Parts: sequence; structure tokens; C-alpha cells
Amino acid sequence: MIHFSNVTKFYERQAAIKNITFSIEKGEMVFMTGPSGAGESTLLKIIYLSEKPDEGSVTIAEWDLSKLKESSIPFLRRNIGVVFQDSRLLDNRNVFDNVAIALRIRGMLDSEIQEWVMEILKMVNLRHKAGSFPRALSGGEQQRVVIARAIVGEPTILLADEPTGNLDPDTAAGIARLFKEINARGTTIVIATHNRELYRNTGRRVFRIDGGNMVGEEIG
Amino acid sequence: MYLLYSFRLALQSLWREKWINLLSVLTIAAGLFMITLTFFVVYNIDLATKRLPARFSVMLYLNDGLPEQETGSIIAQMKKNNAVEQARYIAKDKALEELKGVLKNADYILEGIDENPLPASIEIKLKKESVNIASVKKFVAEIKEIKGIADVEYGEQFLNSINSIKGMAKAGSLSLIIIMSAGVIFVCYSTIKIAFYRRKEEIETFKLLGATRGFIRAPFVIEGSVLGMFGGIASMAAAFAFHYVLFYKVTAAIPILTILVFPLETFPALPVAGLLLGIGGAVIALGRIRFS
Ligand SMILES: Nc1ncnc2c1ncn2[C@@H]1O[C@H](COP(=O)(O)OP(=O)(O)O)[C@@H](O)[C@H]1O
Ligand SMILES: [Mg+2]
Repeated sequence: MIHFSNVTKFYERQAAIKNITFSIEKGEMVFMTGPSGAGESTLLKIIYLSEKPDEGSVTIAEWDLSKLKESSIPFLRRNIGVVFQDSRLLDNRNVFDNVAIALRIRGMLDSEIQEWVMEILKMVNLRHKAGSFPRALSGGEQQRVVIARAIVGEPTILLADEPTGNLDPDTAAGIARLFKEINARGTTIVIATHNRELYRNTGRRVFRIDGGNMVGEEIG
Repeated sequence: MYLLYSFRLALQSLWREKWINLLSVLTIAAGLFMITLTFFVVYNIDLATKRLPARFSVMLYLNDGLPEQETGSIIAQMKKNNAVEQARYIAKDKALEELKGVLKNADYILEGIDENPLPASIEIKLKKESVNIASVKKFVAEIKEIKGIADVEYGEQFLNSINSIKGMAKAGSLSLIIIMSAGVIFVCYSTIKIAFYRRKEEIETFKLLGATRGFIRAPFVIEGSVLGMFGGIASMAAAFAFHYVLFYKVTAAIPILTILVFPLETFPALPVAGLLLGIGGAVIALGRIRFS
């Protein structure tokens, strides 16, 4: 589903990602971890096409990124849900609209949107907050809105950058359960995290990254 | 389709900044109204100069005592000429009569003159398309060569001034219309540019969620076209008001102005023009949308 082959990414001559190779199969849930500045965010950004690799090749769901036309980027992105590190919730829209926007860009009709969004909000347990604005939500609730927005369009891949960043352990555990549930439906998931609890005893692959290098792979 | 949502986004944005947008609409309206006035002026100059060729004539004065046969041959020759619409022979007697008619009660001036001093002449009306400096000069040069013609007279001054009035009006109005249109586009451009920057974060998010260029552009293009169209409607209202005041109020005081024509049927072009200029401004403001 996601293949990196000798991928390098420079930021002003400084390599953030160095010669990284890995493969993630369909339906997997994979973790990436490492010290701050190791390069996990950059890796995820390459997958959701926010950054272009300088060397190597990347294939996502059969799409070779080096051959991808810019006008095709939106359509590939619709296959990739992202839980952004900085959430990217729209402050001037309520929870419902924040989630609905992912369907609106797909040109879905209002009648269908209503149904789908309420269904997803139910799944993340936020039905009763549909009319609230992001600022009025707790950190865990906000994160669930972001997850709802990421999966409402039924992407084949879900990426999450520090999804439990500022959450207390209990809330983080709730988020972890949510990811497990989403993964059980067949969605391929990649999570970048510093939170050991998220991958401990999951039996999933954990990529260890340091200084832009892939320094090891273990089972959580 | 997402267009319904684009309309909603556009209207929300228009409403949120209603005062700035109102100002833009009024500026656009002012620009379009000036374009309308310019058009009005040029339209009337054009109409006036179109009527003028009918009044333009070339006078051929014949040699005194020219035999009737030669006179007839000159008239025939004139009538055959491609540039000539009409050729009217004015005999010596007729010329005197016309002069007396013009002088009316002042015809004592002619008392004591026994012999008719006026020459016979041919008044020539040229075809409309030949009433221009080049054609007239060529025509006059031709007929001056004909034997039996003493002199040729035509309103050279008159012809030159029509020509330069027309040229100046056309050039002046065209540049004014271009400048005003550019101004209208610029107002739309800057209004949309500001709206775009205000929503930059949101647009960035839309892109990351998989929005196409069309989805991102549509609300802004709609905003631009709405601004332009309302500007057009406002300028149309102003043009109707102007028309009303000029043709019902001012002409009552200055009747001569009734010769002016204001083609009301062209007014609906204003909202359309506004809409197109608005779209133009928005498209320029958006530029190229990049995803990475
Ligand atoms: N836009 C950028 N411009 C310059 N340097 C960057 C940029 N983004 C990230 N970096 C640098 O690249 C390295 C990896 O960053 P990142 O992938 O965000 O690390 P993390 O593993 O903490 O997510 C860091 O040294 C960071 O400072
Ligand atoms: Mg990071």
C-alpha cells in the first residue's frame, strides 16, 4: 500500500529523511517513533503529498508519486485521511461542518452528508457535540473530530501525527481503541508517536527513526 | 456537485465583509457608469457625424457663357461618377432667385445691378461613403481638370473638423473605456485577493483534504461575479436616473437637447459587463493554485 525506496528529503541542504526504504501492506497498522526532529512528520508529509521527496521513489496505492500530475493530487489525497499534528480544525465552523467539509470537497449532496457525518460522529462518540465549535471542546474531543474528518470519506489509508500529543493517558487510550477499530475495518494506518503506550503489546510493527535514518524495526 | 456549497461559501464571505464589499460594488458601479457616459457621448457624436454627409456638397462653378451642350455633358459626366449621389444644375437665374430668397427683405442690395453676376453651377451631393477627406480630395482633383469648370468649392474646413472630432472622440473614449474597465477589474481583483488571504488557512486545509482547484476557486469566482454584477446593476440604476433627469427635466429647459439619443436597450449589458469584469478580476487574483 505504501512503498518507500531510498527516499531522501532535504530542507535547505539539511536532510530530514535519509535514504529510507520500507513497505507497508494493505490493512496494516504501523507505528513510527523517535526523538523530536527525527523526521516522522516529514515522512507522513511525503505520504500525503505535502512534501516532495528529493531522491528515491514513493508508491502509494499503486500511484507512483514521481509520475503523478499535479491535478491528480486531490484525488490521491481523498484516499488518505490525515490526523494533523496541529489538528487543522476550522474555528469558525461547528463540529458537524468540520467533518462535513471532507465530503463537500468530494461533491457529495447535503442529504447524504447529513447521514454520513452523523454516523461517523456517533462512532467517535460526539453526536451530542455536532453543533459545538472546536474551541468549546476538550483536547480529546477535538482529536476525535479530527479523526472523524479523516475517516468520513472512507480513505484506504489513515495517517496520524502525534494523535495523543497533549492528551491524558485515559483519553489517549480511548483514541488508541478508536484507531484499532478503524484498522479492523480494513483501513491501513500509520501513526507517528512518542507515546509508547500506543504501541506497547499491540503486536504491530514499530519503525524506529533517528536523525532522518531508519535505525530499526521491532514488534510492539 | 459542490457548486451549491461554493455559492453558500461565497454568500457567507460577501455578507461577513458587507461594508467593504458594498464599497467595492459602489466603486465598480461608478466605473461602469463612467463607461456608460462615455459610450453615450461617443454614440451621439457618431450619430451626428453620420447625419452630416447629407449636408455636405461640392459646388462646381461653370465658365460664364458655357454652351448648353457642354453644360449637359458635364452634368452627365458627374452623374456617371461612382462617388456622386446627386448632381443638381443651378442656372444663373435660379442662383439669383435663391440668393434673393436668402436675402429676403434685404434684396435692395441687389438693386441697381442689371446683369446677373452669379455663375451657373452644379451642386453635387456625394455618396455617404465618399464623404471623407481622401475621397473628396481625389474627386475634386479629377473634376478640376474638366474643361468648362471655372472653380470648385467644398467645405474643406468642415470636412477636416468632422474627421478630427470623430477621431478624437473614438480614441478618447476607447482609452477611457479601457482605463475604466481595468479599474473595475482591479477593484474586483483586490477585493478577491483580500478575501483569499483572509481564508488562506482554510484553503490550505481544503487542499490537504483533497479539494480540487475548481472547488477552491469557485467561491471566489462567484464572489467576484456577484460584486461585478451588483456594480453593474447599480450603474444601470444610475444610468436610468441620468437618462430620466436629462430627457425629462433638462430637455424641458433646454429643448435642443432632445436631439440626443440614449439607447436604453443597451443598459442590460451593464450587469453582464460587470459580471464578466468581476470574474476576470477574481481569476487574476486567484492565479495558479498549487498543491505542493
Ligand atoms: N519546513 C521545514 N523547513 C526546514 N526544516 C524543516 C522543515 N520541516 C522540518 N524541518 C526539519 O526537519 C527535521 C525533521 O522534522 P520533522 O519531520 O518535523 O521531525 P519529527 O520527527 O519531530 O516529526 C527537523 O530537524 C526539522 O527542524
Ligand atoms: Mg513531528
